[in-house]
Amino acid sequence: MLCDKNVFLGVENLGKQFPGNGTPLTVLENINFEAEDGEVISIVGRSGCGKSTLLKILAGFLKPDSGSVFFKGSRVHRPGPDRCVVFQEDALFPWLTAGENIAFGLKRQIRDGSRIEREVDRFLDLMGLSQFRDYLPREISGGMKQRVALARVLILNPEILLMDEPFAALDAQTREEMQELLLELWGQFSHTIVFVTHDVGEAVAISDRVIVMDKNPGRIKDVINIELERPRRREDVNFMRFYSRLYKLLRD
Amino acid sequence: MNDRLIPWVLPFTVFLLWFLSSEMEIVPLYLFPHPFEVAQSGWSYIFGKIGDEPYAGRFVYDLAASCTRISLGFGLAVMTALPLGLMSGRNRFVHRLLGTSVDGLRAVPGITWLPLAMVWFGIGIKTTVFLVGMAAFFPIYLNSATGAREVDPLLLQAGAMMGVNRFNAVFRILIPAAMPSIVTGLRLGLGISWAYLVLGELTGVPNGLGAIIMDARMVGRTDIIVVGIFLVSVIGRLSDLLLKLLLRFCFKNAL
Ligand SMILES: Nc1ncnc2c1ncn2[C@@H]1O[C@H](COP(=O)(O)OP(=O)(O)O)[C@@H](O)[C@H]1O
Ligand SMILES: [Mg+2]
Repeated sequence: MLCDKNVFLGVENLGKQFPGNGTPLTVLENINFEAEDGEVISIVGRSGCGKSTLLKILAGFLKPDSGSVFFKGSRVHRPGPDRCVVFQEDALFPWLTAGENIAFGLKRQIRDGSRIEREVDRFLDLMGLSQFRDYLPREISGGMKQRVALARVLILNPEILLMDEPFAALDAQTREEMQELLLELWGQFSHTIVFVTHDVGEAVAISDRVIVMDKNPGRIKDVINIELERPRRREDVNFMRFYSRLYKLLRD
Repeated sequence: MNDRLIPWVLPFTVFLLWFLSSEMEIVPLYLFPHPFEVAQSGWSYIFGKIGDEPYAGRFVYDLAASCTRISLGFGLAVMTALPLGLMSGRNRFVHRLLGTSVDGLRAVPGITWLPLAMVWFGIGIKTTVFLVGMAAFFPIYLNSATGAREVDPLLLQAGAMMGVNRFNAVFRILIPAAMPSIVTGLRLGLGISWAYLVLGELTGVPNGLGAIIMDARMVGRTDIIVVGIFLVSVIGRLSDLLLKLLLRFCFKNAL
């Protein structure tokens, strides 16, 4: 079966195994889903259920053992700036300043130095990073680092943003700030977001749809549409309803 | 006690003991000359006018000769060891291909190459350059291989996703990320270069810091030997400092 050309992002019968000692470990089995242009999808599941592996396949870092990923009608087989990843860990280049990290990808695309400078300034401003321009990653806080990580890919104008527990290492307050910032940027750039998290509240707060995954082997257990108006308030009764429903699903 | 004084305590004590033992002639002066005599010879060797005294004013020429040999030998080592090390750190095939041979060669003490080098290259600059290059190769190779091997794959993935091709990734990501290890290798390599420079120059070349030491031995000028040892130590240390400053200037944030 070939994916419909009209589907923005399509995942078909995806399977992935890792060679364990003796028996191979099936990490992903029969994963199917589609994402529309501009949609925010969260993937939640216990740690070790294959979320990162799935995201790496979507990004093109890993090859699946079966099935395939289609993006705008063609098969994904290598990483590229149209599908950018914000990693959980610190994946900024430690020898470059915040500004240089943000300029890094753009420099591969355009030569005009003053245009690069202008774009970097714009994104520093957008992220509230202006005063950190000349700081090295090791000199700024975790929240600021993730802002730089977000800025260095948004500046490339990606169509899909793949995020692997990007805010998991931040304190609760910074995490909520970052979620708000992400939604603000999403409103502005309207890219598609695939967001991996194990934080149920985070998933309800930002997603149009939540994919719940099972462990051993990693399979899709359920998909829940979050039919809530934005902006969402965590104190809202309906927010709570979705929250507890997802929470139960995850625990069972 | 003042923190900055502590490093000088030991040299000063040694100097004092040396001074006292010379004054009281505990050790015969022809075995270990008086510090003032050494200082005088050193002054004349460095600043004196050629011809005033057998060793007067020769320092500049010896230094130039030694620096040429070091630069050539160390340069050759960097040019071969750095690319090979980076490749073997990233590529299993290259690692398998070179690993055993490099370890085998490394087990041979550098001095063992001296007779063969003399047969091949004769006495002179080529032998010294060969010895220096041979000695500096291994620390540079091994450290750049380790540095390249330990580069976080996440950084390379991040680069690939932002549109860096494999060739550019070497210069944009691999080398800067491995820079701390590379610098360690370069510094170790330069340090050992000085040892093998002196060894090479002891074999009877007419000039160079090692040559002056051997020359002085033959005419019984212990003072000049001590001056030579002292200068090799100071210049070796200075060259390390210079290398460190240069690298920090070029790659300030990578270190
Ligand atoms: N490169 C790999 N080689 C072998 N096993 C792996 C590899 N990467 C991940 N795994 C295993 O696959 C499973 C899923 O990992 P991962 O996708 O990181 O899960 P999650 O992100 O949901 O926590 C884990 O059991 C992990 O140990
Ligand atoms: Mg993970």
